[in-house]
Amino acid sequence: MRKIAKRLFAGAALLLIITYFVPLWSISLEAPQYPEGIGLYIWVNKITGKNPHDLKNINGLNHYIGMKEIHPESIPELRVMPWILGFFVVSGLVGSIAFPQRFLSFWLALLILISVIGLVDFYVWEYDYGHDLNPKAAIKVPGMSYQPPLIGSKQLLNMRTSSWPHIGGWAILISISLAGFALFYDKKEITA
Amino acid sequence: MSGINNRKLVIAVIGLIILMLTLIGCPAQQSMVGTDDAAQKVYVAPGTYDEFYAFMSGGFSGQVTVHGLPSGRLIKTIPVFSVFPENGYGFSEETKPMLNTSFGFVPWDDAHHPELSQTSGTPDGRWLFINANNTTRVARINLASFETDEIIEIPNAAGNHASPFVTMNTEYVVASTRFSVPIPQKDVPISTYKENFDGTITFIRVDPESGRMTIAFQIIVPGFNYDLAHAGKGPSHGWAFFTSYNTEQANTLLEVNASQNDKDFVAAVNWKLAEQYLAEGKAKDMSASYVNNHMNGSSRIVETEKHTSVKVLSPKDCPGLIYYLPTPKSPHGVDVDPSGEYIVAGGKLAAVIPVHSFSKMQKAIEDKLFEGDVDGIPVLKYESVVAGEVQNPGLGPLHTEFDGKGYAYTSAFISSEIVKWKLGTWEVVDRIPTYYSIGHLMIPGGDSQKPWGKYVVALNKITKDRYLPTGPELAHAAQLIDISGEKMKLLLDFPTMGEPHYAQGIAAELLMKNQTKMFPIEGNTHPQATKSEAESRVERKGNEVHVYMTTIRTHFSPDNIEGIKLGDKVFFHVTNLEQDWDVPHGFAVQGALNAELLIMPGETRTLVWEPARVGVFPFYCTDFCSALHQEMQGYVRVSPGNSSVAITYGTGK
Amino acid sequence: MKALCLSLILFSLLLAGCGGGGDETSKQPDTGKTNEYGLTDFEMTYGIGPVKKRLFLGQINKALAKKGENIFATKCAPCHKLDERYIGPAQRYATERRPPEYLMNMMLNPDEMVKRHPEGKKLLAEYLSPMTYQNITEEDARNVIEYLRLTAQEGHENNIPEVPLYKNQIQKP
Repeated sequence: MRKIAKRLFAGAALLLIITYFVPLWSISLEAPQYPEGIGLYIWVNKITGKNPHDLKNINGLNHYIGMKEIHPESIPELRVMPWILGFFVVSGLVGSIAFPQRFLSFWLALLILISVIGLVDFYVWEYDYGHDLNPKAAIKVPGMSYQPPLIGSKQLLNMRTSSWPHIGGWAILISISLAGFALFYDKKEITA
Repeated sequence: MSGINNRKLVIAVIGLIILMLTLIGCPAQQSMVGTDDAAQKVYVAPGTYDEFYAFMSGGFSGQVTVHGLPSGRLIKTIPVFSVFPENGYGFSEETKPMLNTSFGFVPWDDAHHPELSQTSGTPDGRWLFINANNTTRVARINLASFETDEIIEIPNAAGNHASPFVTMNTEYVVASTRFSVPIPQKDVPISTYKENFDGTITFIRVDPESGRMTIAFQIIVPGFNYDLAHAGKGPSHGWAFFTSYNTEQANTLLEVNASQNDKDFVAAVNWKLAEQYLAEGKAKDMSASYVNNHMNGSSRIVETEKHTSVKVLSPKDCPGLIYYLPTPKSPHGVDVDPSGEYIVAGGKLAAVIPVHSFSKMQKAIEDKLFEGDVDGIPVLKYESVVAGEVQNPGLGPLHTEFDGKGYAYTSAFISSEIVKWKLGTWEVVDRIPTYYSIGHLMIPGGDSQKPWGKYVVALNKITKDRYLPTGPELAHAAQLIDISGEKMKLLLDFPTMGEPHYAQGIAAELLMKNQTKMFPIEGNTHPQATKSEAESRVERKGNEVHVYMTTIRTHFSPDNIEGIKLGDKVFFHVTNLEQDWDVPHGFAVQGALNAELLIMPGETRTLVWEPARVGVFPFYCTDFCSALHQEMQGYVRVSPGNSSVAITYGTGK
Repeated sequence: MKALCLSLILFSLLLAGCGGGGDETSKQPDTGKTNEYGLTDFEMTYGIGPVKKRLFLGQINKALAKKGENIFATKCAPCHKLDERYIGPAQRYATERRPPEYLMNMMLNPDEMVKRHPEGKKLLAEYLSPMTYQNITEEDARNVIEYLRLTAQEGHENNIPEVPLYKNQIQKP
């Protein structure tokens, strides 16, 4: 690989380290009763509220409409993700130094695949969360379900729910882009 | 070549970062209300008066607060169900009996709904009634003196919530049970709720001259939670409507168990028919213990009357007395429009606002369109009584008030807004957010036949960031909204005391001219009144010492008292000889275990003091009365129990 | 040129109209000529209040004086004694110090007397406690006058000395 491609590849791998320190995804809830805003951060290994007691409050609010409580301890993805990302960081760094271009393609493809799987898995979890409601719930709006959006904003009852990648998520996207550029330059050089 | 590519790369990355930043940091901008305009509308210039009196319930404070509208200023706190050391209410010998109940002296209660007395369906400014939820009572406040004149206890009841709503000419004030209990009380397992627990709906008769309240009759009803009520008007005069929830008859975890049924009921009670049944002797005398405390107008001493029985009607013996109208879902407020035809129920967990029609109800009764019965009470078919349903009314619709111009305003708690809709067409024409989580709303006269459709006040439950923060406990927030035009406009945000569950408003001129400014001393029939300084004295009766004291700017008479001994019970009967407006005097003595007295011009008030130490103790005037207020003081000498110091007293000798 | 002249004329007319100050609105109401205290001559001598005409006092009516004595005992005694300076001035010889109309206005309208009348203001400065409104009728006040006429008469008969209004004798009313 050309030097610049190696640097870009290394950069892409290094950037992924951010995900251990900043949230991957942010879900915000806006409601008239919450002028200060309430929301969740999904990290690589946990789910926290944006303010100290948000997770507890969200669970409290959602039980009126029969939604399940969010217990981060019982979400298996949160245990697996740190290892997966760790694999990408290490393999990327090593690969940028020692391995050929083909490895880079493989690494990039795998990263894209894992990201897509992650998003799909997130969607499925959101679907279940919003549709599998307790039949004994106090407030039942017929035909209503509360699936949060995958990306974007949606009005659910009195709450405006927004779901967007946070810094960690963007970092993964940029990492994919960097790896993509790396491959692009490397290929160009060879075919030039 | 790599240089150019590098630049492109850098540009691409920068572009990506910018994209990221704009997407993440993009708050929605809220449109600002035109502030100049609103400020003009709520500014009450110094020396001028507000347009309306607004009486807000104090909720868990147990009192009533008076605000002016449109300024929102707090003008007064009227003590009702809670002791008020500020003026001695509940501490002076004359006012202590006001808080007597069959349980004993109760120094606090939870006051929810104020209701103005009405004549011909409009507020007449004579009295304000308010309910006590915990130790079930109804109070009557005199609107000439802004004082609680009478409190009557409701027997066979628990949780007096659907109260104290008045009929068109204040013939009756209603009371109803939020909590069903065994009637009469007995020792049974709580799980036997369905078999043993009942509710009661009570009609309190109000004497048109004196305002004195008596319990005319009670109706025993199935054990639901009766929530709110309003009386009919015009064509529906003679009926009263009560919402109920917990038709599931749950006694535990009501949050879930009382929210299961798709529809609960509005109970329609034909009180004119009840009067007939009463006259026919259909009522049974049930033994029940309750009290009625009222202030004597000339002595201004509160007297307690004890009662031992109450007249009870049973729906089984009185066909046609009560009907149930199915109403989605766990309905909370029930409000009758000014024409008396539409009965709006706020189903707090429903997705629509159901509106019942009185004329359709009459027809359904005539045609016997019943879908069943509960304990013999016919349940009318929903389709036969409903006039329409308001769609999209906001989430959690609760209460409705009317502007007299054909529109209704309903509060929606969960979506924190007021929704304006048209009577007859049921279409929503406007909405406005409230801050935050509105409960009740109030239009002055909004539950009468002639509302003053200028303002609506939103009474909110959650305050958060509306005002300067004050630690964890915050005052409840209220908003004043202009409804004079087509669209509602927020004018003012002001804090309220306690928790105003509901409020009543009345045009200021109706009350202003009737205000009591002082009590003429000649009319004071208090047995311990002292009508001139010459008559002021101290008398010993065994262990009791009675001090007959007068106050006038700026001295007490007597102001030096000797001869009191340890073990004495001293009664300070203080008469304020002033005869001018706004010249009260206060009285406080060191070591008193109660409170102060505030004595209005011409009245007599008594404080009991049991000195626990030997020595000389000061007393003084606590309410600033003149330039020499600081000089208005006195001394009481307390000698040992076996001393032979004689009673002497005087001022200026 | 024509245009310039015309506009100059118009401009000066405008100035004349606006420039001259409007009349000063008179500060005193036109009802009766008032002095620098804002009081009419009648009010200066006979007090500000409901009594606006001279009263005719005949012989002392003992029955009315008795009524006046009762009123004095209940309403006035908290602050006034006959032969002692108390919260307010000694009253035995009040009817000789002041015209009866003045005394009646003082009894019926003490707030205004103490605020606006120069004599009332002097007394306030001397005694510090303003006289309070008593809510008595004009008839009651007239009866008190009758009583005070009697006390003055009795005072002379028994050589009871007068207690002066002001501690500083120079300030005689």
